[in-house]
Amino acid sequence: MSAAPDLRPRALAWSAAAFTGGVLLQADRLPLWATAVSLLAVAWRLAAERRRLWLPGTLQRALLALALAAVVLARFHTLNGLAAGTTLLMLMAALKLLETRGTRDERILVGAGLFLLLAACLDRQDLLRVPLYVAQTLLCCGALAGIAAPQLELLRALRLGGRALLLAVPLALVLFLFFPRFAGGFWAIPRGDAASTGLGDSMDPGSIMQLIANYDPAFRVRFHGAPPPRETLYWRGPVLHEFDGHAWRRGPERLRLRAPLEPLGAPVRYQVTLEPSQRRWWFALERPERAPAGRVFLTYDDQLVGTEPVAEPLSYEAVSYLRSRSPAPPPAQLREDLTPPPGNPRTRALAATLRERAPNDAALVAAALDYLRSGGFSYSLTPAPLSADAVDDLLFRTHEGFCGHYASAFVALMRAAQIPARVVTGYLGGEWNPIGSYLVVRQSDAHAWAEVWLAGSGWTRVDPTAVVAPERLHRGVLDLLPDAFPTRERLLHSPWLRALFAGWDAANSWWGTHVVKFSYEGQLDLLRRLGVRAPDAVDLGRAFIAGLLLWLLWLGLRITPRPRGVRPDALGRAYLRLCRALGRAGLTRAPHEGPLALAERCAIERPRLAPAVEGLLQRYAELRFGRGADDQAVRDFTRAVAQLSLGRWSGAFP
Amino acid sequence: MSSTAERALPAWPLRWRAELTGRFARWIRARQGVDVLPLRLERRRLYILPSRSGLAFCVLLLLMLLAGLNYGNSLALLLTFVLSGFMLVAMQQCHRNLLGLQLQSASAPPAFAGEPAALLLALGGEATARPRLAASLPGATAGSADLPAYQGATLAVPVPPQRRGVLRLSRVRLETRHPFGLFCCWTWLHAPFELLVYPAPHGSLPMPDSDLRPGTRRRGSGALEDEWLGLRPFRDGDSPRRVDWKAYAREAPLLVKEYEAAASDVRLFDFARVPLADPEARLSQLARWIVDAEQQGERYALRLPGRTLPAQRGPAHRHRCLAALARFDEAPG
Repeated sequence: MSAAPDLRPRALAWSAAAFTGGVLLQADRLPLWATAVSLLAVAWRLAAERRRLWLPGTLQRALLALALAAVVLARFHTLNGLAAGTTLLMLMAALKLLETRGTRDERILVGAGLFLLLAACLDRQDLLRVPLYVAQTLLCCGALAGIAAPQLELLRALRLGGRALLLAVPLALVLFLFFPRFAGGFWAIPRGDAASTGLGDSMDPGSIMQLIANYDPAFRVRFHGAPPPRETLYWRGPVLHEFDGHAWRRGPERLRLRAPLEPLGAPVRYQVTLEPSQRRWWFALERPERAPAGRVFLTYDDQLVGTEPVAEPLSYEAVSYLRSRSPAPPPAQLREDLTPPPGNPRTRALAATLRERAPNDAALVAAALDYLRSGGFSYSLTPAPLSADAVDDLLFRTHEGFCGHYASAFVALMRAAQIPARVVTGYLGGEWNPIGSYLVVRQSDAHAWAEVWLAGSGWTRVDPTAVVAPERLHRGVLDLLPDAFPTRERLLHSPWLRALFAGWDAANSWWGTHVVKFSYEGQLDLLRRLGVRAPDAVDLGRAFIAGLLLWLLWLGLRITPRPRGVRPDALGRAYLRLCRALGRAGLTRAPHEGPLALAERCAIERPRLAPAVEGLLQRYAELRFGRGADDQAVRDFTRAVAQLSLGRWSGAFP
Repeated sequence: MSSTAERALPAWPLRWRAELTGRFARWIRARQGVDVLPLRLERRRLYILPSRSGLAFCVLLLLMLLAGLNYGNSLALLLTFVLSGFMLVAMQQCHRNLLGLQLQSASAPPAFAGEPAALLLALGGEATARPRLAASLPGATAGSADLPAYQGATLAVPVPPQRRGVLRLSRVRLETRHPFGLFCCWTWLHAPFELLVYPAPHGSLPMPDSDLRPGTRRRGSGALEDEWLGLRPFRDGDSPRRVDWKAYAREAPLLVKEYEAAASDVRLFDFARVPLADPEARLSQLARWIVDAEQQGERYALRLPGRTLPAQRGPAHRHRCLAALARFDEAPG
């Protein structure tokens, strides 16, 4: 089975290629030094093959392995995590490459390439990476063919692998749809920490600014029914209560239940798919009716807070009321939202003035909004920096800012005027995707607004930014102030690119919900749509077995050749029968041998058979090559052959 | 390579293994019956199992499945399923690579004792190409060949060096690991293959003198003068000394000068008159003389107890003589 010596380097090159593909898939996940070490090992091995360089011996390899494992341990503080485990596996495979000697070692490296691919699949599932994964699968399968037959050219081996993969695709689909997926969690491997994105649990003017420049989607929303008008789409996130003069914070976690709402209109039903943010916030429109899942709480300030950070895409159904009246909280709770801002004397003075003039709280809010509307305030993403008394500075000196500034200042003003108020952060609006019929809410839609407590109507949303820049309600920040953004974002907003991105986003969203998040529930749902009533795991198993059998049948028909020979005439059939009988008795006719030659050889090699056979063979020659046989003669010959009994060759020689 | 490992083991596992292998072989022999060439490999005689790499691949798939289920990760599961399908396709393709293969004939050119020999299997002639076929005798290395579409190919099964006699090869294993080496599909061929093993040409005794017939001319030197007969085409086994190189240089085909040298003198190689004690040594000596005499273009006769081959020469005669030596003392069968 060993190939000619000059073919060995080709098999080695295949295994090195499969491994390198796996390493490159990990390039943006694992530490750069590990990738570099692995690639270096590949280069070293290939160079050694060509130039007969020195390769490390067993002892050196063992020491290297220990050293590398120690480095991994030092860097990750564990060998158990997905990232640490993958790094270790990659480095050990790189060492294995340095000692490849035969087909077996080369196949192990292809296995390592497949394992690295699996690790990449576990970690990243974006649609954009799928072509890379497909390419790596193809490379590994081609490498298996190339290692088994190193004389194959590159394309031929890839085609062999690709053909087998293509034939496997229908089965893969059947398995994907119907293989019963039991909820996982046999063992837990800690994942590495990913950077969190999105709204935090505090807000200062800079944090919102960072989000506004980020074009990544935060979540997608599919409405059941007509989507509400855009200016009502306030996606509620962290509610902030504590102010230190510069930044707003959520304050301590409080275990308080929210009293039921009094709805003042029809509910809005929709499905939200969150992108991973590594934060605990779930988002819902204005006031959610209840918590949409068991692992999320609805807090007393109408916020959805999950028990775990969102590490993977996540979907939930939610119901919200755009107009509702919240019941009165205990006075002690309201008092928490009355803490006036530290410092800022001019704001306090303004509040006192407003309080004197206004007959009630609602009128005071209206007067404050009037002040913002007529005070020469403007919407700007590049406002002048604020000093320590930030609210005073904004209201009386700079007169420019964006949502964070205005919400912060407005709530501070309200509290100074003895009206309970809080800052709500979240997102405003979103972009309608006409291809996928859903709404994309991006980080750039981040927004902050105020809520004030009014005795008659409960907590009431007030958006000071809408007063300063009313167009913000209808358009995203990027449309509003394109010059404030770098070129890349502006380019993204040219109309045709926007259409392109809508298509891409729709494909991504489809991929996310129908492939990446396809689960046991999705499988049952599919069976239901196929007409199975009350499906369960057993039905899945049946569908899976039926699909498997169908595929095997199809595959058999597809690749099995059906031999078709020419059927010989009656005389020929009788002769072949005679030859077979002779063969069973231990005398095989050679392809070139005629009946007479066979008879001659029979007399020499198997003299015992000769008396019975010689006559028949001569008779056949006469009938076939003589003057022409009549049917009767052929029938006689056939009967004679049928009556012949030669016995069997025993298999063992005498 | 495995023999050293086997030697290290105690005897009983080896005996068990040999016993099992033997039983299995007998069962397969009884199941399949005797093969009649030409034959086409049918489904019921093809056996297929995952190779070692195939088993390792299965383990890899199992790990992938567990990881995919554990994380509830669709993409990892999809990858696992694609590779599972790939494995099943590989199995089908491996099986198909033998299914329907036509074995036209088998022949074993005679060989000298102690030299490697080969059993030649003539394969193919159908529309499908069948790469990477290998065939081996039990316990011996395999020979391999690629079978192109619409063409036959000869697969040489290596036969390890043997002792003089008629070697009966009752069992040949024909296998393939195409296309990915994940599976091994094989079949057993049972047919009365015979390999004639000539005695090894050994011995340094001088050739017995030729009987001089009357009318033979002697030259002054005393050497025999060869009588020029003519030219004939080159045949395997002709001495290069007799090739007409000048004619070849003129782009004529390879021709051999024929002399009637031995026409007059005939050497008689008599088993009874070889002055050696061991019969095998005598046979070797006779083989040596036959090979040499044939090479020198002499006529020779061979006398064995109970059998005499009259004087002649040429490859056919050489074969007859050597075959007689090979079959010497053979139990009549």
